[in-house]
Amino acid sequence: MATDTGCLYGLTFVTHFYGARKSILAPQLGTSELMAGQVVEGTRAAIEVAAKEPGCQLIPVVSLCVAETAGLPEEMLPKKIGDAEVVLVRVPAYAIHSHPEAKDVALAALLKRLGNATAPKEKKTLALLGEVFPADPLAIDNLLRQMGVEATITLPGRAIDDLRRAGHVGALAPLHPFYKETTAVFRSWSIPVVGGAPVGISGSYAWLKAVGSLLELDPKLVNDVAEAERARAEAMLKAQPLSGRIFVTGYEGTELAYARLLVEAGAEVPYISTSIGQDPLVLPDEMWLRARGTKEIVYRKSLEDDVAALDKYPPDFVLGTTPFCAIAKERGIPAMYFTNQLASRPFFLSTGMAATLGFINQTMKGHERYQWMQSFFEGEAADA
Amino acid sequence: MPKVIRDLSDSSSYWAAVWTMCAMPDVHVICDAPIGCFNLVATAVPDYTDAIPHIENITPSVITETEVGGSGTGPAVQRTYENLRDEGILDGKKLIVVSTAESEMIGSDLSDLVTKLQPGTTFFHSESLSDDEWLGRDRVLQWLWENYGQAAAADIQVEPGLVNIIGPTYGCFNAPSDLHEIKRTIEGAGGRLNLIFPYEATLAQIAQLAKAQVNVVLYKEFGHTLADSLGQPWLHAPMGMQGTTQFVQKLGELLGTQDKAQAFIAQEKKTTLSAIWDLWKGPQSDWFPTTNIGIVACGTYVDGFTAFLGNELGMPISFASSRPLRPGELDNEGVRQLLHSNPPAFVFGSINEKIYLSEAGARYTNFIPASFPGPIVRRAVGTPFMGYRGTVYLLQEIVNRLYEVLFNFLPVDSAYSKGPRPGATNGASKPAADKPGNLPWELEAKAALDAALDQLPFLPRISASREIQMQAEQAAHEAGLEKVTAELIQQVLATRKN
Repeated sequence: MATDTGCLYGLTFVTHFYGARKSILAPQLGTSELMAGQVVEGTRAAIEVAAKEPGCQLIPVVSLCVAETAGLPEEMLPKKIGDAEVVLVRVPAYAIHSHPEAKDVALAALLKRLGNATAPKEKKTLALLGEVFPADPLAIDNLLRQMGVEATITLPGRAIDDLRRAGHVGALAPLHPFYKETTAVFRSWSIPVVGGAPVGISGSYAWLKAVGSLLELDPKLVNDVAEAERARAEAMLKAQPLSGRIFVTGYEGTELAYARLLVEAGAEVPYISTSIGQDPLVLPDEMWLRARGTKEIVYRKSLEDDVAALDKYPPDFVLGTTPFCAIAKERGIPAMYFTNQLASRPFFLSTGMAATLGFINQTMKGHERYQWMQSFFEGEAADA
Repeated sequence: MPKVIRDLSDSSSYWAAVWTMCAMPDVHVICDAPIGCFNLVATAVPDYTDAIPHIENITPSVITETEVGGSGTGPAVQRTYENLRDEGILDGKKLIVVSTAESEMIGSDLSDLVTKLQPGTTFFHSESLSDDEWLGRDRVLQWLWENYGQAAAADIQVEPGLVNIIGPTYGCFNAPSDLHEIKRTIEGAGGRLNLIFPYEATLAQIAQLAKAQVNVVLYKEFGHTLADSLGQPWLHAPMGMQGTTQFVQKLGELLGTQDKAQAFIAQEKKTTLSAIWDLWKGPQSDWFPTTNIGIVACGTYVDGFTAFLGNELGMPISFASSRPLRPGELDNEGVRQLLHSNPPAFVFGSINEKIYLSEAGARYTNFIPASFPGPIVRRAVGTPFMGYRGTVYLLQEIVNRLYEVLFNFLPVDSAYSKGPRPGATNGASKPAADKPGNLPWELEAKAALDAALDQLPFLPRISASREIQMQAEQAAHEAGLEKVTAELIQQVLATRKN
């Protein structure tokens, strides 16, 4: 990781919190190294240490603000050292404004290096693109195989080989809407892209059909599977419908898709905000939501935007960032950290709907606890 | 050869500035930062270091390509200021603009700009490209005194009996507990608390630092420059039984409350510290000489643990590595190698050491969090490392974990019938019970077993020796060998490592 110590400290801290548990190397980049122009030299030294780890096959070099400002020319770094590929990923926060977009840049860089573009395509295979709950790809794979798909791979995957195999697939299905550069890499390999995502009743149905037609699967088979899945999803929704007003205000770039699911389940979602910028990839979800009562969708949001919405459309439940959830809880409104609570549950297809909606229903039932806490600490009962 | 960092342990002076200044509610900081610099220091990390939802009194200028590309950060800071002002967020607050590594990288000096913002606004150049968090905290504490206290303090008289505590800030491991215990200790010695700076102070109160007769500096890493500037006698907060006793005596001398101090020490021996006397007299202390300890923590803790666990209780200190690193100590590369090859019974450390232990599969080693980085809640005030209560808490923690070791690792015959049989070389496994009695061991095999056991902490060796013996004999039976050979034991040991 080529950056200053404050940045390095914070990023490694958060990385380990989310379970990376990997030793991380970095060149020392202080005033003296920067003055002496040692960014390249230092980064090369760190790469050499990394290459000595037993079994090392891939060394991503993550270049952040300070190294990018100082300059880190790619041609000055080795492409390969021993058995390990060295891949430069440029993600300075001053240019890449959100971490979802940084994930896209990182994955695109890895694919450009490792993906085998000239390999013959395996027509009935699909790459699922997006960091999702581990059980989600299994559920999706299961349905797709019933439709005649021969194999799926998930990116970013758990193995380097998944990156290598990505160039072979028959089609790409981005499950999240911010993989702009990654999608462009697949297009450059002449691999077609499935629009939408298997979210909710109508979204899943349309997505399964789209996969079927893109991969030229047996239409009858595809239709049967899609209809059956739709029936399951409808039954599921009937069993546990949502009601109430919910905010979806994370920074993962997946907020619109979650909002769509909630609206389909019966919730009112007047306000959605996200860290990513507006993009054609998000437009279908945005239009769908606006047609169903969503009043405001804020891209590149600030905390102040979210707080203003709290006054404008007082919600019953907030799925948001940690600072915003804290403010909602100060008002006795049930709130949960979008990243930790939703990313740790299945989301896609009817099984994902069941898990996500079950969780939200359960949380909303606990609203009295949020009110009690608020009144205990800050309300009328606070001084008692 | 340029320096390569493995798993950074210390943050930068920009973090120090934010974590020190923002502890005071009447400050608002504009950090001259790209969005990531702000998110990490103000929201993502303090969730897990200080268990607070986020730091509220800080706003980023949000450096983008425009600012990096040549316009400089002045207009962005100006804009940020105007928004805050218009929203009323700055009412009743002092504004401080703080530089970051990136703003320093593009040479942004806002000393002039701040004179055009809200009156009294200051610019703190955090030296983030060169200074670490420890140096940074020391410098910012002194800077706050010089800019917000010193002038007004000229008229303030020292009031006998008053004591300041300097430190902690956000991001100081275990600070609430240690602070609580040091307050109790100061009061026990006959002092009255004045300002707890910056943790429980406001910017407007800084001049009041001049009122205290004595200053207590919580950490050896920072705060001493300010303590020197204040011109009154000062002491470091104590750890260990001897250290704490000396501290109470010395503070009593300085305050003229010797009798009270002496009575406090006597009373503590009969109450708080009686647990240590009892554990010393009991069988627990017999384990101390064979319970070895590794320490990775701030230098204050390294010295305190070494004095208490090492010198007073007699536990061997295998290694110590301070934050910031002192000359001659193992760096993370060295600590990692040591934990991979010969981990002690206890390791006090950060998530880095926890990762190294997990890489090594060192299941016989107890890890005790004692340092950042690493997510942890330490908001209960009953878990101090400092003062008399700190000694009791530490010892209680260690003995309870030794009990856990006994539970997990003493030989229980039934435990061996479960699980895979390392070293099996073919599918035709015969139960070891088919061939009763001990198998002969080649001398070299026995030597290899002894060497492997030597790498383990003392208590678990009993069970490990029996476990390895059974695994080796099982493997010998399965391979149809009449004795345990050196080659076989190496295979068994290799399997255990994986």
